[in-house]
Amino acid sequence: MAILLLSKNLIASSAFFEQDPDSTGAHGLTPDILHAQRSLPSAIDAERRLLHAILLSESRLTQLQKLGILRRVSEMGGNEHCRDLHAQILSGQSSDDSPLLHFVAKLARHAPWVSANDVAVLRTYGVDDELILEVVATTALGQMFCTLSNGLFPSEVSRAFPAIPDPGDLVETAGPYLGARARPAEESQSYAFLKEEYGFIPNLYVVQGLKPNFVEAETYALERIIRYENVLSRIQKEYILLAVSAANLNTYCISMGGQIISILGGASLEECDQIVEDHRQSQISPADKALLEETRKLAALSQQLGCSFEAEQLRAYGFTQPQIIEAVVVSSLANFLNTLQAGLGTVPDFPPRRVLSPKDLYPFAGKSRPIPDAAVPEDPDAELVRRVQAGDVEAFEELVRRHSRRVFGTLAGLIRNMDDARDVTQDVFLKAFEHIGSFQGRSKFSTWLISIAVNTGRQLLRDRKPLEPLEEGDDEGFRPRQIQSWADNPEQLLAASQRNELVRAAVLRLPEKYRIVVLLRDIEQLSTGEVASALDLSIPALKARLLRGRLMLRESLAPHFITRGQREP
Amino acid sequence: MLTCADFLAEFGDYLEDALSSELRAELEEHVRECKTCQVIVDSTRKTIRIVTDSACFDLPPDKVEPIVRDVMSRIRKKQ
Repeated sequence: MAILLLSKNLIASSAFFEQDPDSTGAHGLTPDILHAQRSLPSAIDAERRLLHAILLSESRLTQLQKLGILRRVSEMGGNEHCRDLHAQILSGQSSDDSPLLHFVAKLARHAPWVSANDVAVLRTYGVDDELILEVVATTALGQMFCTLSNGLFPSEVSRAFPAIPDPGDLVETAGPYLGARARPAEESQSYAFLKEEYGFIPNLYVVQGLKPNFVEAETYALERIIRYENVLSRIQKEYILLAVSAANLNTYCISMGGQIISILGGASLEECDQIVEDHRQSQISPADKALLEETRKLAALSQQLGCSFEAEQLRAYGFTQPQIIEAVVVSSLANFLNTLQAGLGTVPDFPPRRVLSPKDLYPFAGKSRPIPDAAVPEDPDAELVRRVQAGDVEAFEELVRRHSRRVFGTLAGLIRNMDDARDVTQDVFLKAFEHIGSFQGRSKFSTWLISIAVNTGRQLLRDRKPLEPLEEGDDEGFRPRQIQSWADNPEQLLAASQRNELVRAAVLRLPEKYRIVVLLRDIEQLSTGEVASALDLSIPALKARLLRGRLMLRESLAPHFITRGQREP
Repeated sequence: MLTCADFLAEFGDYLEDALSSELRAELEEHVRECKTCQVIVDSTRKTIRIVTDSACFDLPPDKVEPIVRDVMSRIRKKQ
C-alpha cells in the first residue's frame, strides 16, 4: 500500500524521489514498504530507478492513465489496500481507457494467456508499439509493487478478486508483439552489463529498443538486486527467479534462468529442469527448497490462487529477516520480468528445454504432487525434538548438550574468535528453541541447527564488515602448485599442539566460502549432503568448494610436511 | 588416456569415493603413470587426515556444561 501512497506523492512532486526515502515520514506519509527494506539500500535504489523510468519520465501515457493501470493491477492481484487507495486518487476522474485496461487486467491476471491477438485488438484502437511498451512496463511495475506488499505485509492483504472472463485455452502465437528491434547503444551501461552478464543482448531487452531508459533501469535493477551479493547468495536469487518464473509458466524466463544457473555453477541444466518441474524433488538443500516453496507463492499466478507467503517457514530454516526481505524483493523482480516478457511476447534466445503450459500450474505441489517422505527416519534427535515441540522445555537441555561442541566449533572457525563463539553458540541455541515449532524434520535436527549457526555467524561477519560485491571466485580454476612428495607419516614431524596450531592458522586464512565447507566437512565431519543442506548449496557447488578448500590447505601445510630432503633449510 | 586436467576435474569425487568403478579405474591408471598426480593424491589425503584429526576448534570438555546451563537458564527466564 505504501508504495502506492508513494506513487500518489510521485505525481505531486517528482522531486520527492531525489530525497532519501526514509525521510518521507516528514511528509506525513509512511512509506512502509521502503522502510521495511531499509536493510537493503541497493534494492530501494533499484526500485526508485524503475519507478523513475516507468512512472515519472516523459511518456505517451498520461500520469492518470498510469495510475489507472496500477489500480487495475492491484484489483487483479486482490490487493484491496492498493485498489482503494487508487480509487481515492482517481475519484471523479472519468476513464475511457477500457480496451487498455482490459488488456492490463488479462496481463496481470492471466499473463501466459496473453497473445498477439490481444495486442492486435489494442492496435485497432490506435495503440502503437511505444504505447504498448509503456502499458506493459507499467503493468509489470504494478505487479512488482503488489508482490512487495503481499510479501512484506502478508497479513494486511485481503483478497477480493473481481470476476474476469476465463482465459480459455492458451493461444500460441509467435511473438514478439512489437516491431521494434534495437540493441542498447554499445557505449551504454546497460549494453555493458548485458554483454558481461549474458554474453549477448537478450531479446527481452532488444524489443524494448524504443525505450532505452526502461532498459537502463531494468539492467540497473538486475545489477543491484541480483548480481550484488547482499544477504542471499547469487545462486539462491537465481533459484528464486527460476522458481517464480516456473510458477508463472514463463518459458522464456526459465530457459534464461537455467542457463545462468548452470554457467554460475549452481546446478546443472538437468537439475534446473527438476527445479522447474518440482523443486522438492531436486537435489538442492532443504533450506533452499523451503525458500523456493515460499517464494513460489509470491508468483503472480500463485497469488491468484490465494497463496500466502509465510515468512515463519523461512525463519524455521534459519533465514534472517534481511534474507527474507531480499527473497521478497527478488520475487517481485521476477514478477516484473515475467509480466514484461508475457506482455511483449519475447521469443526465447535459444531453443527452450521445456515449454510450460497450464498443466504445469501447481503452486501448491503439496496437494497435487505429494512430496515423498523427506523426513530423515534415523535422526537420533527426533524424539527429543518431538518432546520439545510438545512443550517439554527440559528436553531441550539434552539437545544443547549433544550439539554444543559442533555448534561452537563451526562458529569458532567461521567468526575466527573463540570467545565470541561461546556467546554466539548460546544465541544459536536460543534461536533454535524459539523456532523449533516450525522445524518439520525435512533434514536432521543437527543439520538444521548448523544452518542456523552458519547464518548467525555470517550475519555477524557482515555486520562487522561492509557489504561487498559478490565474490566471483572460480571454484574450479585452482591448480595445485606444490608438487613435492610428503613424508610417509607427516603427523610425526610435529607435536600434536603444533599441528593443531598449524591447521587452525591455515583454516582461518581460507576465504569464508572455502573455510566453512572445510570446517563442516573435515573438522565437524558432517556428510557431504548435510553440509550442502546446512549451507544452502547444491551438491556440485559444495564439491567444487570443498576440493578447492582442501587444495588450498594442502598448499599451506606442504612446507611443513614434505620429505626432509626436499625441505628448504 | 586421461590428462592431468581430466584427473583434477574428477579429483573431488575421487577423494570422496563417489565415482563409478569404471571412472575410478581410469583415474587410478592415470595416477599410476603420473608422478605429479601421485603426489597430489597422496598429499591431499594426508592433508585431510591431518585436518580431520586436529582438534583445532574444539570446545574444551569442561566448557560444555556451562553453555548448557546458561542456555537453559535464559530459556527458563523467558518462559
